[in-house]
Amino acid sequence: MKLKTNRRAVLRGAGALIGLPLLESFGFQRFASAVSVTTPPKRLIFCGMGFGVTADRWYPDRNTVGTQWELPGILKPLQRHQSDISIIQNLMHRYSADGHSGSTFWLTGANRYEIPGQSFHNSVSVDQVAAEVLGEQTRFTSLQLCAKDVGSDGHGPGSSLAWNQHGKPVAGFDTPVAVFHRLFSDDKTPLAERQAAMRKQRSVLDTVSENANSIFRQLGKEDKEKLTEYMESVRDIEIRLSKEESWLIVEKKRPANPVREPAESLEGLEEIRMMYDLMVAAMQVDASRVFTYRMPVTSLIESLGATMSAHSMSHYSEGERRTVSQNRDTAHAKLLAEFIDKLKASKEADGSSLFDHVALTLGTNLSSVHTLKNCPTLIAGGGAGFKQGQHIVMDDEKTPLCNLWLSTLNGIGVNVTSHGDSTGLIDQLA
Amino acid sequence: MSDQQNHLDVQTSGIGRSHIGVYFSEMTCKMNHITALRIGVIASLYCVLWLTLQSSAAEPERKALMPKQHSALFRAHCYECHASESEEAGVNLETISYDVAASVENAELWRKILGAINSGEMPPKDSKSLSAPDKTAFLEDLTAQMVIARKILGDTGGVIPLRRLNRREYANTIDDLLGIQPDVTSLPDDQVGAGFDTQGGSLFFSSDQLENYLATANASLRLCLLPRGAPQAETTRVEPEDTFNVQYRDYLAEIKDTHDRGIAWQNQTEKPPSEFGILDEYSVKKKIGAYKDYSPQLEWYLARPESKTGVISITTIKSGGVTRIKLPKLAVNAPGKYTVRFRAAHYPEADERFHYVELSSTATGERRHIAWRKVTATLDAPEVMSFEYEHLPGESRQLSLSSRTHQDRGDKNLWAIHRRDNGLGTIPGLWIDWVEVTGPEPYQAPSEAAKRILLDRPDGMDDDRYALEVIRRFAIRAFRSRPPQPDYLKQLFEHYQADRQSGMSLTEALINPLAIVLSSPEFLYMVESGRPDNTGRLTDSELAVRLSYLLWSSQPDMELMDLATGSRLSDPAVLREQADRLLSDPRHDRFVHDFVHQWLQMDRLGMFQFDGVQYPTFDNAVRENAREEVFQTFKLVMNESLPIGTLLNSDFVVINDLLAGYYGLPQVDGSEFRRVKVPANSPRGGLLGTAAVMAMGSDGIRTSPVERGAWVLRHLLHDPPAPAPPNVPQLSRLDGEVLSARELQKAHQEQPQCAQCHRKIDPIGYGLENFSADGLWREIESIGTGNKRNGRFIKTVDFQIDPSGQLPSGESFKDYFELRKTVGRYEDDFARGFAEALIEYGLGRPYEFGDQSLVEQILEAAKQDGYAVRSFVHALIQSQTFQSR
Repeated sequence: MKLKTNRRAVLRGAGALIGLPLLESFGFQRFASAVSVTTPPKRLIFCGMGFGVTADRWYPDRNTVGTQWELPGILKPLQRHQSDISIIQNLMHRYSADGHSGSTFWLTGANRYEIPGQSFHNSVSVDQVAAEVLGEQTRFTSLQLCAKDVGSDGHGPGSSLAWNQHGKPVAGFDTPVAVFHRLFSDDKTPLAERQAAMRKQRSVLDTVSENANSIFRQLGKEDKEKLTEYMESVRDIEIRLSKEESWLIVEKKRPANPVREPAESLEGLEEIRMMYDLMVAAMQVDASRVFTYRMPVTSLIESLGATMSAHSMSHYSEGERRTVSQNRDTAHAKLLAEFIDKLKASKEADGSSLFDHVALTLGTNLSSVHTLKNCPTLIAGGGAGFKQGQHIVMDDEKTPLCNLWLSTLNGIGVNVTSHGDSTGLIDQLA
Repeated sequence: MSDQQNHLDVQTSGIGRSHIGVYFSEMTCKMNHITALRIGVIASLYCVLWLTLQSSAAEPERKALMPKQHSALFRAHCYECHASESEEAGVNLETISYDVAASVENAELWRKILGAINSGEMPPKDSKSLSAPDKTAFLEDLTAQMVIARKILGDTGGVIPLRRLNRREYANTIDDLLGIQPDVTSLPDDQVGAGFDTQGGSLFFSSDQLENYLATANASLRLCLLPRGAPQAETTRVEPEDTFNVQYRDYLAEIKDTHDRGIAWQNQTEKPPSEFGILDEYSVKKKIGAYKDYSPQLEWYLARPESKTGVISITTIKSGGVTRIKLPKLAVNAPGKYTVRFRAAHYPEADERFHYVELSSTATGERRHIAWRKVTATLDAPEVMSFEYEHLPGESRQLSLSSRTHQDRGDKNLWAIHRRDNGLGTIPGLWIDWVEVTGPEPYQAPSEAAKRILLDRPDGMDDDRYALEVIRRFAIRAFRSRPPQPDYLKQLFEHYQADRQSGMSLTEALINPLAIVLSSPEFLYMVESGRPDNTGRLTDSELAVRLSYLLWSSQPDMELMDLATGSRLSDPAVLREQADRLLSDPRHDRFVHDFVHQWLQMDRLGMFQFDGVQYPTFDNAVRENAREEVFQTFKLVMNESLPIGTLLNSDFVVINDLLAGYYGLPQVDGSEFRRVKVPANSPRGGLLGTAAVMAMGSDGIRTSPVERGAWVLRHLLHDPPAPAPPNVPQLSRLDGEVLSARELQKAHQEQPQCAQCHRKIDPIGYGLENFSADGLWREIESIGTGNKRNGRFIKTVDFQIDPSGQLPSGESFKDYFELRKTVGRYEDDFARGFAEALIEYGLGRPYEFGDQSLVEQILEAAKQDGYAVRSFVHALIQSQTFQSR
């Protein structure tokens, strides 16, 4: 019973943390928009590519650093944005040794084998650290976008790019149409019924907790730790329910130029393009400020005409596999360039653009095949206050990728002092 | 190129079972103290019978000792900067302990040293470099000791962590309780890449999972308790010629029309192609070419008399790939057994591969290749054959029949090559008259399960009391004989009451409480409290649970549970009898498939695609059947109590018609697997001769002696190589050169840091070079170079294969046959590897130091029984370790 009290206490605490959408619910739109005129919100986007890139063609020439550098041929579609993007070389995770996990530790920098006797461990991802702060005032604390059937796309274990405070996977939406409905469709069920349904969900959680508590007492120390994972999950759901409940009374907003409901069948290139569009739309109505996207690989290369699996492509040697790999890199560059176009075109009330306030990263934990050094890292946007338009080659070829994550967090105003295995900030970006 | 792949592949697969977290880098300070081994002497009557008590094996020394002589190397090369006076980078090699595992910090320092020397970072370029022999000896010793140190520091003292049902076990348990195989695709697959999916310590839990469990339980309970009335079985006949004659005729007319217009344009000079309805000159060429390419086969097809009454299975590049007969969609609400009958004949002049009918299915995009039937009748007397198909509840699937297919463009490329040769295309091998689907024969399981859940309601019992009884009994069963706590039960009942008050029927109102039971930790975790006497021994019910999850990957059935609740299961004779019974039940297939799949790391078989042109006979059918061959071989060895060494070398294979055709063995009739004796000079017989194992040792294009050698060391010789360090430098010296696989590996010998492991790994792989990437026998290694036409290299370079090599022990072999014979002598080592894997799988934790005596006992018992697989199982479950918390 003691635990149950704790659980309630945690919830009360959590309730206080959850920013209620007061302004909007009381109709203070004018006041709300007045606030946003002065400070458009900062936003974060992480896009993970899964398998590595065509390493010998993707990175700029190491002899041209600073602002005088040339985009590699396969990234040419990004040319028009070159002064607003940067590529950083020599970033890596100290602990990553797993050649088939391009996304599992990408945003966390965790040590998979940290706990003896366990073959898997992870810690909180950078987006979720940011979401604690940036997510307070939006309906969705963070949004995780994914793709279907990415099992063989090199992303590794996980449900999305995001891992929660306990290092457990956070689920995502795996089709554009699901994201669309989540963002813009209002539940037609009457409010009272929806509230009743939430009460019922809560009482279900009470009952499973009752069972957890009764066996908790019978367990030894290690097993108690294991069961705690279950109890934490219950708490996570309860916290989310509390927030959802407070937003029940607020109608979902649609952007001025609404996105049309995406077709169910979107795959590959078109799917990614639509996900980018949906992120723009979500930002326009300020539905969320933190986004991660675990992108498809097999369906992307299929949509480019290839018939091989993503894994086969990733083991490219001269020939068809390499061609497909390069085409994939170029497709990503093209899609990203379009995304940046749209972010630049979308204006905030003060005349600045969404792009000016976003910190965007495109990358993956694998550089190519199974190599985990020099993680491909492309950043864009003014959100973190970075000096863009640079090609940076870190002096130490083992510079923690987490230094970039820490710089990004600090840049958007999340003042933590470390993340993962970070050892400091990336000075060149300041 | 492939050099790099090979190298790094070793690393990845190294993160497999035998190498759980060998990397030291992965260790931080949270080391547990090694807790005392719990080999308590228990003064119980049964004790005398326990195998484990008389453990004579000496406890291995828990030290990872780096030989002292290497201090000379430090002195000569490192002390200048890394000794007490200077301590550059905080590294002092004078004070380092040569017991690598002395502390985490010490081990971490050794790891840094290993990394620095491996990568060539140390000694620095401007100082004296290490001699190759010194470097090799140093790295070899250190790598080996790092592996041991990791084990020592990761040892939990035999603690078996609280285990969650993994995804397979969850699905099977729901199936056993509800008669419904649930859709679990939204749950994590629990194969996190290292170790077995039964390892409790690594099975995590997240809030999304909890929501998924609730949703899955709800949906499955609805299907079970509120059936919508079984749909009537019906028969639908498909006459495929109705579709294809129209399709092919239309297509022929279309390409003829565009061809004619193209010719008409060419025959004049005034007007542009657009006036002829064609985009440009290039398109004209394409259209004329298309007609030339495709019309001969289509004209031939439409002229054949048998195409009036059935279809000939052809490959039609421009019109939907192969002739694929789609059957009516199987609906979500019509689960059950379906029979697919068809009338067919074959064309003797076609390749034997095309005499098979392939049954496949699609749900959302992805196609599963399910079963194959060989048609032997000819057109003058076609035969009727059939497939059986189990359509699972909650799924919508479409079945289709076709010839055998490849994964990628293989079929189309091969067709184009054949067309160039014979003017028509691939010679079809199959004619299908009609197809009939009959079903569903409704599932009995859900209604039987429902009957059991809903009990026989005693006369006069009111709704509430009845509902409470249903919930209570279900909870006991779901919690595997643990009675639910009163407070919990009360809450469950309140959920029922609330739903009842909202107007639901009695059965409907039971769904929510029962779904909560199936999402509660006592169901999802295998809770073990042990006996009240504090000996650490499991209760009989808990033992029943361990046993059934080991052999069935599911909960105990009624007979097993009844014995347990009557406290009879811990009687060794009863336990043995039950284990035998479980192993005779069809459910033991789960053990065969799931254990063997993970033990031999067979996931690699699906990782690469095979080039259909380069390996025309390695199609989807071969891949699936080759995989099954490994399982069926293990199963036969187990069920016939053959020595486990049979898997190393045998004079028989376990195959079916399709694989007999693939291997070129004498004909076998029928798709079921059976024992077939092979000729004395056949390379087949034993795991090394299976297409699955050889194909896993390739990347779908070329063979990998490294991958194969490492697999043999890891799984057959029980001498796993250390994983390659991450981020090894790419050996690019040979880029662009056309070399044999054996020549390519030579680059490994050039640098000591590579050579120290590869000299052990690669030579075994050389002995397997007579198997090409697809596992077929070859005398010559042919490497394609330059450009391709229709997916085929125009130029190839041939290499004579030199299959000689040696094992790490120094035993040399001159070819594959000698290699297999030599490997066959390693039965003891192979048995040890198997026993360790079984311990990991069955106990749900990594193999640890404290298990040494257990493994000796298992091996001793098994050896006395001729190393029969069952004797390993019996020895494990009779052991004290298996019967203790």
